[in-house]
Amino acid sequence: MILPIVAAFAAGLLVILSRQVNGRLSLSTTPMISSFWNHIIGAVVLTVLGLALGNFIPADIATFPWWIYLGGAIGVVFVASGSWLITRIGAVNSTLLVISGQMVSGVIFDLVRGAPVTVWASALGVLLIIAGMALTQRSR
Amino acid sequence: MTSSTPQRTNPLHLVAAFGSGCLLTLAIFINGEAGRYGGALFSSWIAHTVGTVVAVILLALIWRRQRAEAQTATVTYGQPPLWSYLGGVCGAVTVMLTSTAVNSPLALAGTLALGLAGQVVLSLAADFWGLLGLPRRRLDLRDAGAVILIAAGSLLIILFGLGAA
Repeated sequence: MILPIVAAFAAGLLVILSRQVNGRLSLSTTPMISSFWNHIIGAVVLTVLGLALGNFIPADIATFPWWIYLGGAIGVVFVASGSWLITRIGAVNSTLLVISGQMVSGVIFDLVRGAPVTVWASALGVLLIIAGMALTQRSR
Repeated sequence: MTSSTPQRTNPLHLVAAFGSGCLLTLAIFINGEAGRYGGALFSSWIAHTVGTVVAVILLALIWRRQRAEAQTATVTYGQPPLWSYLGGVCGAVTVMLTSTAVNSPLALAGTLALGLAGQVVLSLAADFWGLLGLPRRRLDLRDAGAVILIAAGSLLIILFGLGAA
């Protein structure tokens, strides 16, 4: 059980590490150029890994719905916006506000598609998040 | 960089970051579906490959301005360090760690909650010490309050809100 716990925590660390590293590259270039390098390096690493493990491209790929390819396009904008943000408002504010957007949109998304949502907990959670977001806007 | 810049968050930053979080929800959903069809490695590989192509197209459309902007940035901040090109390695490793954790007794909720903890810990450290070539940022009670409120709200949603109780 300790391995998955470490893995989940480390995944969170890496999210911030990559935003920090991409942010540093964007300082000397631009957020879009930094996002390009992030994706091409990731693609190369994953291709090498996939070739090493063998047949990572499914045989029935032609039958997959077209929209599963949109994740990468959204990712480009997401990574560029992360670099733009972290160099302007710092790591803590970026992390908090991105998580806020992710949580609130996640609740709305699940409500819209009819997935089970426990209303009291979600509503209270959204309220706490909005209060926290307001705090990031307070001048010192 | 040793200066402690008083970076203040204005409403434009708030909207941009919140919107970016909304995009993340969409991307995670789509990549999760891609993973259901073709596995976690395929999902991440296709996202990075499509992402590379889309980035090239977007850059080609606005290349003149991007090049000018990048040249000014290089004059101001110097050549980027070589390690700063390796952000993509983190992304590739993250996918492996996340799919390990999701398929354990932690499930999605536990993975999200622990991932959130990791994100908060490292961003506090990054601002406090000015890690990896980005400016240091003074943390105060206001930051502590925002961290506590947003982390508590998120944990409430992750652990009790999503999925029927």
